[in-house]
Amino acid sequence: MSSRSEHHGQRHSGNLYVLLAWRNIWRNKRRSLLLITSVVISVFVAVVFSSAQFGQDEYMVHVTVGFYEGHIQVHGNHYWDKRSFDQSMEMPEREIDEVAATAHVACVTPRLETISLISHATTTKIASVVGIDPEREDNMTGLKKRMVAGKYIETGSTGAVVSEGLAQLLHVGVGDSIVVYGQGFEGVTAAAIVPIQGLVKYPLPDLNNSMVYLSLGFAQQLYSAPSRLTALAVLLDDNKALDETAAAIKKVVDGDKEVMTWKEMMPELVQGIDANDAGTVLMLLILYVVIGFGIFGTVMMMTVERTREFGILVLIGMKRWRLIVITVIESILVSAVGLVVGVLISIPPVYYFYFNPIHLGGDYAKAMLAYGFEPIVPLSIAPIVFTIQGFSVFGLGVLSALYPLFVIRSLRPVSAMHG
Amino acid sequence: MKRRFIAILILSTLCVLSLCAQDAKEIVKKANDLLRGTHTYSEISMTIVKPEWTRTISMKSWSLEPDYALVYISEPARDKGSVTLKRKNEVWNWVPSIQRIIKIPPSMMLQSWMGSDFTNDDLVRQSSIVDDYTHSILGEETYEGMKCWKIQLIPKPEAGVVWGKIYLWISKGSYLELKTEYYDEDGNLQKSFFGSDVKTFDGRSIPAHWEMIPSNKPGQKTVLDYHEMKFSINLDAAFFSEQNMKRVR
Repeated sequence: MSSRSEHHGQRHSGNLYVLLAWRNIWRNKRRSLLLITSVVISVFVAVVFSSAQFGQDEYMVHVTVGFYEGHIQVHGNHYWDKRSFDQSMEMPEREIDEVAATAHVACVTPRLETISLISHATTTKIASVVGIDPEREDNMTGLKKRMVAGKYIETGSTGAVVSEGLAQLLHVGVGDSIVVYGQGFEGVTAAAIVPIQGLVKYPLPDLNNSMVYLSLGFAQQLYSAPSRLTALAVLLDDNKALDETAAAIKKVVDGDKEVMTWKEMMPELVQGIDANDAGTVLMLLILYVVIGFGIFGTVMMMTVERTREFGILVLIGMKRWRLIVITVIESILVSAVGLVVGVLISIPPVYYFYFNPIHLGGDYAKAMLAYGFEPIVPLSIAPIVFTIQGFSVFGLGVLSALYPLFVIRSLRPVSAMHG
Repeated sequence: MKRRFIAILILSTLCVLSLCAQDAKEIVKKANDLLRGTHTYSEISMTIVKPEWTRTISMKSWSLEPDYALVYISEPARDKGSVTLKRKNEVWNWVPSIQRIIKIPPSMMLQSWMGSDFTNDDLVRQSSIVDDYTHSILGEETYEGMKCWKIQLIPKPEAGVVWGKIYLWISKGSYLELKTEYYDEDGNLQKSFFGSDVKTFDGRSIPAHWEMIPSNKPGQKTVLDYHEMKFSINLDAAFFSEQNMKRVR
């Protein structure tokens, strides 16, 4: 009987602490709102900042991978090193279908790609000539959407779709013909006069000045490489499944082929992301220091303000540890409210800028263009952005609550009362 | 008196040194002149050997040293009639299958010519192994049973040369360039050029079989076989025209 009432009493006192802490918070609304606001702003800043950084990483991968290369490529052995038709491969439709049917594979597109001279009248330029399966290529890279004139190629077309910048350099348009001159399979000369049937526009000058698309069959005939491919590009539905999917594809294709992930094909992109991440960590650390001192300063101010109150409470017989428990609960509650509100108010702008990326201008934009990226900063909506930043700031808030704890422990009630 | 003696000593040493240098340069010049006439016609077959495939191209070549050259491809059938024209430091190709002349842009000059181990730049390079290098005799070696000078060529600072150094093996007496090794600026062997099968063309005895072997590409080489050479044919600069690219047989 007595133990029951004791238990009941304990539970009651537990609730009492929370209740007292809650009342303390609302006793001085302005003071609590100040602290909550500082946590909210901190969470907001940290979330938006790291969302922009994560977004940039994701964007770099997404752009490079989805733009052209794909997450994974299948080549003939050593093709990626040598980039020659000697390392091209034969890949029957059945094998392509098997790769396409692998888990996490969103789409695949076969290509026969090489460098050739493109000439019109007295002007000659160097360009990438890519034989493509028109439907699959469009599926993967959205090539058709980039058309600015003429019509897109179809399977079996003997015309070319040329990037707009290259057409300008050669002073040609839809209906004109260009000379494609290069080297085919086994050193055979490849030369053809090809009518331009459409123009595509790329935002990246390098690409815009150097692309010629032919139908796969026509390219194979032009380069004397019937039924051969230089690459099968594979786009995934999830970059996180990169390595397992590469391993699965490796099992599906012939032994004399190499399966490479974008990390292997583009180590410079990985380095770029790593460098970017290191910068992010540094910036976040600085941000945390600023946020931490902000919250700590607010807590310190409030503690000073409440020293007299603490003094009186201790004098009239309140156990110090009870006071400490209440203060800690207060901090946790305030930080939690700040966390929730901070995350909630950061969601709309992050989502907005996720769907409407910020367009950059000026020198930074030029630098990004030079690196081959469109100068935009989309924000990331990965959950990790919200959880990590939210809880880091929450942690900082709770950590700041240690300060009143020390004050209360070493409080001299009489002098505290006299201020 | 002593000072005068030293002066004479230094002077005579310099004389001997310059004589030696003159000597090495003289040897290279003689070997070079033997191979390269000023008005040359030749018939050559070039075999490109790669690990995956082999291809032979037959061609006729006219050259007016040092500025003009024209190469006509007679085999294989698919490429028959293709012409490469070199004028000063420019290269044009005539492609009969599409009836077009295409100028090779400067950025393509280091690309392979006709799929071989020769680059477009090799065709037009202005540098001369006689004038653009400092020569010195490293010693004497026997190569393929022939006594040879081994000569080192270091490019002059002002010469636009891609090599760090070149070693030449030139046979004594007959001045045949039997072996050449090209090194990059880090001292790594890049490619070797071997001459053999000495034949007499137009009164000159020269190697008729050449092999160019790149060091970093196993299983790959380019072989040149000379079938006919004339060293003083009737040629002038007008022969090397765009019109003649389409006419020449």
